[in-house]
Formats: sequence, structure tokens, C-alpha cells
Amino acid sequence: MSDYSVLHATIVVERTYPASPKRVFAAWSNKEALLSWALPGDDWVSGYECFDFRVGGNDRSYFGPPGGETYLNDTTYLDIVPDARIVSAGAMTSAGKRFSAGLMTVEFQPAGNGGCRLVMTEQSAFLDGHDLPENHEAGWNEMLEKLGNHLGRQQAAA
Amino acid sequence: MTERRVTHATFTIERRYEASVARVFAAWAKPEAKQRWFACHGDWMPGPYEFDFRVGGREHLSTRDTDGVDHIYDAIYQDIVPGERIIYAYQMQLDTRRISVSLATVEFRAEGDGTRLVFTEQAAFLDGYDRPEEREIGTRAGLENLACELQRQTATA
Repeated sequence: MSDYSVLHATIVVERTYPASPKRVFAAWSNKEALLSWALPGDDWVSGYECFDFRVGGNDRSYFGPPGGETYLNDTTYLDIVPDARIVSAGAMTSAGKRFSAGLMTVEFQPAGNGGCRLVMTEQSAFLDGHDLPENHEAGWNEMLEKLGNHLGRQQAAA
Repeated sequence: MTERRVTHATFTIERRYEASVARVFAAWAKPEAKQRWFACHGDWMPGPYEFDFRVGGREHLSTRDTDGVDHIYDAIYQDIVPGERIIYAYQMQLDTRRISVSLATVEFRAEGDGTRLVFTEQAAFLDGYDRPEEREIGTRAGLENLACELQRQTATA
């Protein structure tokens, strides 16, 4: 009996922000901005071993709860249309085990009053029972909430 | 101005091969075998083939069709479990236009003396250049080529 299994799933999360597509895109393409919002837990630690935002470039980030498991995320950027779209492929690993591999599409669309509708589509393969689509969806909801707070803080400081 | 849009789709193709899992997996893992069944497209002209079969390794193939259009395939391997599965992300370009980005999962399961292969593609088709139906037809043709490759191997063994 094989211990290997693959669960394929698609997760779509949408948000509308009172900020331009240009500003929302900037929050996804800048390392410092990403570190301020792209974390699923409030007290979690994170960092980048490398960050190379261009088509064909690779990122390696780590994140996790304090004193808990550390997750490694390797990302390759596959398509970038400034202020409109980012498509990347990534794989998540913890303690030497690969948890998931996936494709991420982030679309930045103009919304009313100069705002931005963000549509995030994750198409992933969840591996060997280590992770579940529900976990990723909950993580994205948390992070997109934090992205809203990040944009609000920027606005207040401007 | 190009209209920016994305169509997401998932399709799965299953098929049986009359060859062991070890042989079917090897046809995906060894450059000479992979190139024979993967690149063959009748009268198209394949360019240099790059193939680095390990996690994080890349694969690249550019093939010129009879109209002079380059079909460019670039992949990066995300997960490899020998004899079990291969996961890779890939993008397709027609000349300089990127038409799709995909995640492909290939699972290998022993079935009697043969192998059941399950191919799942999760794709984002970009700006209306390609459609899920066409990709599925192309992929079925590729998996048929693989059957021919395995038969040739048996005939020459």
C-alpha cells in the first residue's frame, strides 16, 4: 500500500480594496511590503533567503509560528504584467517533506472609485496528506485581510 | 492593446500502458527517451533540448512549426518520487506571446503487468491564445506517442 497521495484543488479568493491596482500590485512585488502582510498568523516569523521578482526569477521564503514548525516556500515567477497580473509556481516544504506544489494567479482589476478588485486563484496539488486546501484558503483569507490593513496604514501615512 | 484575461481549468487523462511502472517512469526521467516521444511532431523542427530532471531543475524545448512559429515549452520540476509521481510547472509561448502556465501531476500506478498513468493538468490560459479543450487533445496525442515509444523499446529489446 502506497503512502503517497495527491489531492488536486482550486481555491479562489477575491477582495476589493480602496487602493489603485498599481498600489495593490506594488504590495505583491516588493519584499518589504510582502513581509508586512503576507503571513497567516499575527506573531509568526518570516523572512526571505532570496527574492527575485521577474519572469524566471526565484524566491525562497520561510515562515512559521514562534517555536513551531518552519515552512519553506520556493516560488518561480512565470508571468508578470505590471499592475495587472502575477502568475507563479511554488512548492512548500517542512522538515524535508513536500506538502504541496501549486500555481498561483493574482489578477489586479480596476474597480469603482479608483479601487482594485483582487482575484487570487491557487491551483494546487496537496501531497501525501500533509496539508489541505482548507488550510490554504484560511491562510489566504487571513493574509488578504492583512493586505487591506497594510494598504490602509500606507494611506494614513501618506 | 491586448485584453488581459485568464481562464483557469483542470483536466485529467488516464491511460494504461503495457509496460512496468519502472519502464514508464524511465520514459519520463531519461532525456533520450523523453525527447523521442515528447518532441516528435511530424514535420516540425525541434531546436536544442535542455533537460535537468531533479527538483528545481529545468526543461526547455523550442520547436518551429511549418509556418515558422516557435512553440516554446519551459518547465521546472517541483516534486519527484521515483516510480510514484512527477510534478512540474510549465509555461508555453508562441514566439514571444505567453499563452499558458500550468501545473502538471503525473502519477504512476502498477496495474497487473502494466501501468495506469494519471495525468492531471491545472492550467491558467492567458489572454485567449489557447483553450483547455485544445490542450487536452494535444496532451492525449503526447501520451499516445509515449505508448509508441514503449512499444518500440519492446520491439528492439
